[in-house]
Amino acid sequence: MPPLKVAIVDDEELARALVREYLAAVADVEIVAECSNGFEAVKVVSDLRPDLLILDVQMPKLDGFEVLELVGRDVAVVFVTAHDQYALRAFEVHAVDYLLKPFSADRLAAAIERARERLGRGERLPVQDLAAAARPAQGHTRRILVRDGPRVHVLPVEKIDSVQAQDDYICFRCEGKEYLKEQTLAQLETSLDPAKFVRIHRSFVINLDRLARVELDDRDNRIAILTDGRRLPVSRAGYTRLSGLLDK
Amino acid sequence: MHPILGRVERLAAYLAAWLIVCVLLAAVFTRLGLSWLEALALLLPLLLVYAFACLSAWYVSRATPLRTSSLFRVLASSGLAASIASGLWLGLARAWVAVLSTTDTFAPAADRYGQQMPPVFAIGVLLFLLALAVHYVLIAFETTRQAERRQLELEILTRDAELRALRAQIDPHFLYNSLNSISALTASDSSGARRMCLLLGEFLRNTLDVSARQRIPLADELALAERFLSIEQVRFGSRLRIERRVDAASSACLVPPLLLQPLVENAVTHGIAQRLEGGVIRLDVSRTNGHLAIVLENPRDGDAAVPRPGGLGLENVRRRLIAMFGREASLETHAAADRFRVELHLPCSTGE
Repeated sequence: MPPLKVAIVDDEELARALVREYLAAVADVEIVAECSNGFEAVKVVSDLRPDLLILDVQMPKLDGFEVLELVGRDVAVVFVTAHDQYALRAFEVHAVDYLLKPFSADRLAAAIERARERLGRGERLPVQDLAAAARPAQGHTRRILVRDGPRVHVLPVEKIDSVQAQDDYICFRCEGKEYLKEQTLAQLETSLDPAKFVRIHRSFVINLDRLARVELDDRDNRIAILTDGRRLPVSRAGYTRLSGLLDK
Repeated sequence: MHPILGRVERLAAYLAAWLIVCVLLAAVFTRLGLSWLEALALLLPLLLVYAFACLSAWYVSRATPLRTSSLFRVLASSGLAASIASGLWLGLARAWVAVLSTTDTFAPAADRYGQQMPPVFAIGVLLFLLALAVHYVLIAFETTRQAERRQLELEILTRDAELRALRAQIDPHFLYNSLNSISALTASDSSGARRMCLLLGEFLRNTLDVSARQRIPLADELALAERFLSIEQVRFGSRLRIERRVDAASSACLVPPLLLQPLVENAVTHGIAQRLEGGVIRLDVSRTNGHLAIVLENPRDGDAAVPRPGGLGLENVRRRLIAMFGREASLETHAAADRFRVELHLPCSTGE
C-alpha cells in the first residue's frame, strides 16, 4: 500500500512543527508539503496531489473553510482549531472529524486512520454545506473564491455583473472575464445579499446595480438589458422578484 | 422617618415659617381691635403648640398617599383631620384665653379675645391643610430621591457585573493556542517550553490580581500587555513586531484594570493574525501634565474575510473609561484600509 500523502496547513510555524513531530510516529504517512497559508495549500493540492490536508481553520487571507471550498473535492481534510464556535457547530452537524488544539499524538493518529478509511470508501465531505454552516449566520459573502488550477481568483461581490448556471458549474462574469466554479446557483444564492443580487431566471442571477432596463421582445418575453448591453432572459417568477426589489 | 422631625435644619425652617405666620396673624388681629402685645400673647404659645400638632399631618399623608388614593378619599381625610386638629386647637385656645383673663394685664382684653374664636377655627383648618401640603411635597421629594439613588445603585451593580464578566473573559482562543505552542516546544526546545509556561502563568496570575483592584498604575497594565505580547510572539514569531514609546512619567497614572489588554488583544487577533506577513504594533504613551494619551496602532488586512464576532468590545473599554473619569476621558478609533488606530485620552491621577 502506498503511503498516505499528507500536507500540513497552518500559519503558525510551531503548530506545523508539532504535527510534523506527531506524524513521524505514524506508519505509512509521507509529508509532501507544509503550507503557511491557504493560497499555498490550493497550489500544493493541484501540484502535488496530496491525499489528506491537516488544515487549520483560522488563517489569514483564506481561512480553512475557504480552502475546503476550493479543494475539498480533490482531497480529504482533517480540521484543526483552537476554539471557534461556528466551526465546531458545523463539524458536529456534518459529523466531520476535527482536532482541538492542544491535541495528543494518539488523537492525530486516530484521525489519520479514520481519514484513510474514508478515502478507501471514496467518501467526500459535503463541501458547500459545511462551508456555509461555518459562517456566522448574519453575514453575506463579500467575495467569491474561484480556483483556476493552482491559482485562486478573489472576486469581490460588488464587481460581479452576473452569474449563469451551466450544468454542475456556475459561471461568474466579472470585469469582462468569466470564471467557472463547481457550485449550484441555489447554493450561491443563499450566500449573496438578496438586496443586491436577484435571480431573474432559472439560470441567471444578476447584480442589481448592473441592470439598465427590462424590455419586452417580439414574442412578449421579458429581457433584462445590463449596463454592458448584454441581454438576459427574465422568467415570470424572476420578474416578480425583480419588481419586488425595484419597487422598494 | 418623619421628613421634618428627623432633620434639625428642616425643623428649624419649619418653625421659622410658623413664626412668620404668627407675626402675620398678629398683624391681622391688631386690625381687629387687639394690641400687638395682646395678639402675640394669644398667638405665640398657641401657634407653637399647633406647629408641633401639625407635624401629625405626616400620618395623614402616609395613610392616604396621593398616588394610590382617590381624590375623594384625600379630600375627606384631609378635611376630617384638619377639622379635628383645629377643633382641639380651638379648645386649647379657649382654655388659654381663660388663663390669660385671670392675669391683670390681659383681663381687659377677655371680651375681644372671645370675638376672635370663630376665625381661629378657620385659621386652624387652613394651617393644618397647608402643613399637610408641605408634607405631601416633602414625601414626593424623598420618593424621587430614593428612586434616583436606587437607579444609581443599580448602575453601579451592573457595571460591577460587567467588570466581573470581563475578568472571566480571558480569550480561550489565546489560551488553547498558547498551550499548543507549549506542546510543540516540549520536544524541540524544552527550555523554550518552560519559558512559555512561566510567561503564561504570570500572565494569568497578573490578570486575576489586577482585576481584583479598582484602579491600578499604568505601569502594571503595561507590564500585563508586555507579557501577553511575549506569549503571542512565541506563536507568531517574526510576524509580530512591536514598537513602543512609553513616557516614564506616565507609569504612576491610575487606570481601570484591563483597560489596554482588550485593545492589545484586538491588535494581535484582528491585525497581525489576519496578515500573511504580520506587521508592527505601535504603542505610544505620553503624559503632558495632568493628561495621559495612549495610542495603539496595528496594521490590518484590507480585504480580510468576514471578521469573526467575539473578542472584547471597544465599547466596554469606552464605558469603563467614562465610568471612572466622566467626560474628561475619551476613546477614539481611526480605521484606514490597512491600519487601525485606537486613541485613549484621560486625566492622569496618581492618587496622591
